[in-house]
Amino acid sequence: MGLGFMIGVFGVLILSHAAYSTIQYRGLLKIMEEEFSGPPMNVVLELLLGFFFCIWAALTVPGNFLSIHPESEENRIVSLSANLDFMIFNHRAKVFPLEIDMKLKH
Amino acid sequence: MVSKTEETQLNRLENQVDNGGGGVWEYLCLVRKLNVRRSEKVLKHGLSILNDHKKRSALGHEEWTLYEQVAIAAMDCQCLDVAKDCIKVLQKKFPESKRVGRLEGMLLEAKGSWAEAEKVYSSLLEDNPLDQVVHKRKVAMAKAQGNISGAIEWLNKYLEIFMADHDAWRELAEIYVSLQMYKQAAFCYEELILSQSTVPLYHLAYADVLYTIGGLENLQTAKKYYASTIDLTGGKNTRALLGICLCTSAIAQLSKGRNKEDKESPELHTLAATALEKDYKQKAADKLGLLTSALKSLKI
Repeated sequence: MGLGFMIGVFGVLILSHAAYSTIQYRGLLKIMEEEFSGPPMNVVLELLLGFFFCIWAALTVPGNFLSIHPESEENRIVSLSANLDFMIFNHRAKVFPLEIDMKLKH
Repeated sequence: MVSKTEETQLNRLENQVDNGGGGVWEYLCLVRKLNVRRSEKVLKHGLSILNDHKKRSALGHEEWTLYEQVAIAAMDCQCLDVAKDCIKVLQKKFPESKRVGRLEGMLLEAKGSWAEAEKVYSSLLEDNPLDQVVHKRKVAMAKAQGNISGAIEWLNKYLEIFMADHDAWRELAEIYVSLQMYKQAAFCYEELILSQSTVPLYHLAYADVLYTIGGLENLQTAKKYYASTIDLTGGKNTRALLGICLCTSAIAQLSKGRNKEDKESPELHTLAATALEKDYKQKAADKLGLLTSALKSLKI
């Protein structure tokens, strides 16, 4: 988790550096009185790199995804809960007393 | 409903707790959450926490829930003194409490004094005529005394008011099945499937009841419900697979005289048989011979 987190922080730093360089580039263009068509190639590459780092961190840091299928191996229902509201106490276990004598001590 | 992961977790905790490792409180919470009936273990390990003063005070205000859980487990294991002591402690802490009053009623039931328990429950119902748990305890008492028709009557009256209580529908279905009143049981299972359609075990029980009633249409519907059970459990339910095979052979026997135009394809039967053989090979290889001979004798 530490590595994913670090890569996420790194990705955010790259994105903010790309933003800063774009702003600087626009300032430069304003001085030279040219149209701003788009950021230069290296800034675009930097943007893509930061994007992939952030996506990778977002997918790995939160942990394993849980299955949503109701029939998957983890989620399938194997037994119903024992209907405890209708539990009766005069069953055959009366003739099998517990071996250890249990008492509430206090 | 207990899912596969919850079941493995429960078994793991049970082993851990039985062999002296820690995690007793976690085990008790899981038993409470899943509503399973493990009375002996709950009694043994719950008492080990309650008798130890340090562990008891570490629980804080949850010790009262533990007292209740241990009281019910003690009643189930017929250790009525333990139950009485727990209820006394709860009464001291919560006098005039309905929940403790219910526990007293249950203790009288466990002792076998039905008339006194009836009195306690009636007085609780006077104060609050819409108390669901007390109504259900009255049904359980009727069942315990052997008065099944009285239990059915009470349960039907209860369900007229509280139609959404699926535990009650399930109890009614099981009572009808025990009395062999299969059509009424089928109705109850239909209600259950309507309200909770993603629980495969209701589909399975409904298919079993339909197969028992018999008749060509019921068998075809039963086959559909066995198939939906297989769908919802990812093919891991052996009983549904066997149900498909039995249904196919029963349908084939019933429709022997009719024309073969509307004969269904035997794919489902062969697929189910293959899945069963694979399952048996994996889990009980010595019984595979029994299975193959049984399936062969079912062949159309």
